[in-house]
Amino acid sequence: MGDTPRARNALFRFADGVMNVVESPVIWFREKIVVPNQNDYAWYHQKFRRVPTIDECYTDDPVCIQEAQQQFKRDKFVDNEILSILRRRFEDCVLYESPDHEVKCKHIWEQYNEGAENWFMKYGDIGAYGRVQDAYMKQKHRMIWERRHGPVGTGMKGPVVTEGDH
Amino acid sequence: MAAWSSFRKAVWGWSPQNCIARSQLNDFNAALGVQKCMMSGGHGPRYMPLTPSRWQWHRFKDMAHYYFMIGLIPVGLIVFYANVFIGPAKLAEIPEGYEPKYWEYHRHPITRFLARYLLPSPQQDYEKFLHRMYEEDEKAKIRKLEKKIRLKMAERRDYQGYYARPVDAKYHRVSKEAADYLESLRGD
Repeated sequence: MGDTPRARNALFRFADGVMNVVESPVIWFREKIVVPNQNDYAWYHQKFRRVPTIDECYTDDPVCIQEAQQQFKRDKFVDNEILSILRRRFEDCVLYESPDHEVKCKHIWEQYNEGAENWFMKYGDIGAYGRVQDAYMKQKHRMIWERRHGPVGTGMKGPVVTEGDH
Repeated sequence: MAAWSSFRKAVWGWSPQNCIARSQLNDFNAALGVQKCMMSGGHGPRYMPLTPSRWQWHRFKDMAHYYFMIGLIPVGLIVFYANVFIGPAKLAEIPEGYEPKYWEYHRHPITRFLARYLLPSPQQDYEKFLHRMYEEDEKAKIRKLEKKIRLKMAERRDYQGYYARPVDAKYHRVSKEAADYLESLRGD
């Protein structure tokens, strides 16, 4: 574009001149012919209403379950993108701050790790075709495990014993 | 082919000089080195020149016409018009109280055109899908219930189960009438 700063020496100015041989006609065409003729109209990002989640659905209500599944899919896409943004933020920080990235990017690294852990808690290990019921059951199993053994990551307290044995 | 029979004559009776003198009449064939003796015997002067096949060249022209004239150029013009004179849309916040149409969620004018005029709306598809799910689930529930009932009836054997297949009496009447008529014809 025309707003790049002027090159600082003759060699760079020559290189810019060579680039302009190809770029200038294109830029002229776009700014004089294309942009004035284009129409001005809007497009929008679709906003989806929140519907009842799987834990609020009856077991024999297929419509509720399907809507919960679609919402789960949409939420999974959004969460994937959020995690990608956090990861990109960390990678950009490392690229910019190295060699002191270990100190300067620590908070971003922790943020990303927390996000990744939460993502894995919800969507991890249910597979590519995992449905909302699988995620729900995973949550249930995790809560039972945490009730028996404490927070995940602190090890198991003895052999797995079902309450009915006592 | 016309050439072979005259070749045969050439081998048996005609000197090479005679053959060359005659073939000089047709320069093209002389250039190709074809010696034909066209005196008596052969099938007359050849009118169609012998040429190598131009089939690949003709096919190339056909394909060039097809892919460029009918494919690339019209499509290129449409895409050029859509991009330069209509242009892509600009992202905006949804105004208060306005429900955008389903094609207004796309950016490029050609995508918008396809979404508006050729493809079904996603909401319609979604609702049709949910309705289908509901219907099939209802059918499945009814079948399951019927199965359970039949199982119980078989197990307890305490309920009347009428399994008679209903018969339409119309065809019986028709065949009875035909049989009576035949009986009356045959007599005793």
